[in-house]
Amino acid sequence: MAQFDPVEERAVEMLDDLELEAVRAETVPHNDERFEFVLWVLCLRGVAVIERVCQSRGKARGLDEQEIELAIEDAAARMLLRLSRLDPQPQIHALAGQIAAESVDRAWPSQPRAAKLSRRPPELRLVKGLDRAIEKGRVRPNDWENS
Amino acid sequence: MSAGEETFERVFWQVLNDLQEGEAKPIESYLRLVPREDREELSLMLADVLLARGPASAPGAAAGAGYERAVSIVDEVLGSRGETGLLPGALKAMRKARGIEPEGVVERLAADFGVEGEEGRRALARNYHRLETGRLLGSKLSRRLLASLAAVFDVDPVEVRDAARPASQGPSLQSVPAMGRGAGAGSSTAARPSPERLPDPEVELVERLFHGGPDA
Repeated sequence: MAQFDPVEERAVEMLDDLELEAVRAETVPHNDERFEFVLWVLCLRGVAVIERVCQSRGKARGLDEQEIELAIEDAAARMLLRLSRLDPQPQIHALAGQIAAESVDRAWPSQPRAAKLSRRPPELRLVKGLDRAIEKGRVRPNDWENS
Repeated sequence: MSAGEETFERVFWQVLNDLQEGEAKPIESYLRLVPREDREELSLMLADVLLARGPASAPGAAAGAGYERAVSIVDEVLGSRGETGLLPGALKAMRKARGIEPEGVVERLAADFGVEGEEGRRALARNYHRLETGRLLGSKLSRRLLASLAAVFDVDPVEVRDAARPASQGPSLQSVPAMGRGAGAGSSTAARPSPERLPDPEVELVERLFHGGPDA
């Protein structure tokens, strides 16, 4: 990351969420190193919220530790995308919370899913003479009580 | 209230907020934000606050593994900003978190654009790999490609488009379409079609999507 005047860096870090969003909106069209620093500071604030929301909501929805970590990573990446938008965005705490909730609510790989019917066609085999064998009593149909 | 007093008060409350959020920075960094003549008073006030709070917890104790991973994702994505903005890093991070293989993305793109042939799919895979590794120009990506990527990753197309804007201090790259259209002398000869072979229309479509500009 590019280096800036430490006073300017500190000044950016000291801004409250609303002021920081204003600076983001001002610097995002330039997409330069100053914007990158603003984005970094915003993300640090957002990441703390993402972690908290993903942990609590993820546990409530039955996600395991690994899935929660993946949801956190997903939300972190989505937050960066969202903060790249040119239009104004909500305060970072609210935005991060919303994104984290959406990430947790995705279908994660090991979440239980509704049973699906198999697409595979049933494999049926015709046995020649089976009907006669049943008639003669040499073969009996399956009986769930005896078999 | 004078401007100096206002700054003093704001910095003081900022310290309290940061302490509460567990994000306190070194005290010197706060002192630097107030005029020199106010620093002694602020330091005394902060000393009182810190004394009342008791000893700090061990460094890093508050940050969980999830927090550390999220910060490293942010760091990675920001570090990869270039001619395609931060889109490559963000796509890669989302793809990995969601357990999607690159082939899965390519399949979806192929279905969206009706690319069925082997050559066309290979061109898609090649260009998607270039996109994810930050080797394409964001300004040359077509809008319909970006919209399709947004659908694959279930995000707003505006976000994908805005994230693909080139960073202004990024490394200078040249767009190198694999079909050789408009490529300079430095372009890869291996990617150029032989004169007797007509270009595959699907490959041409893919090249337009990735190199033809927003309206392609």
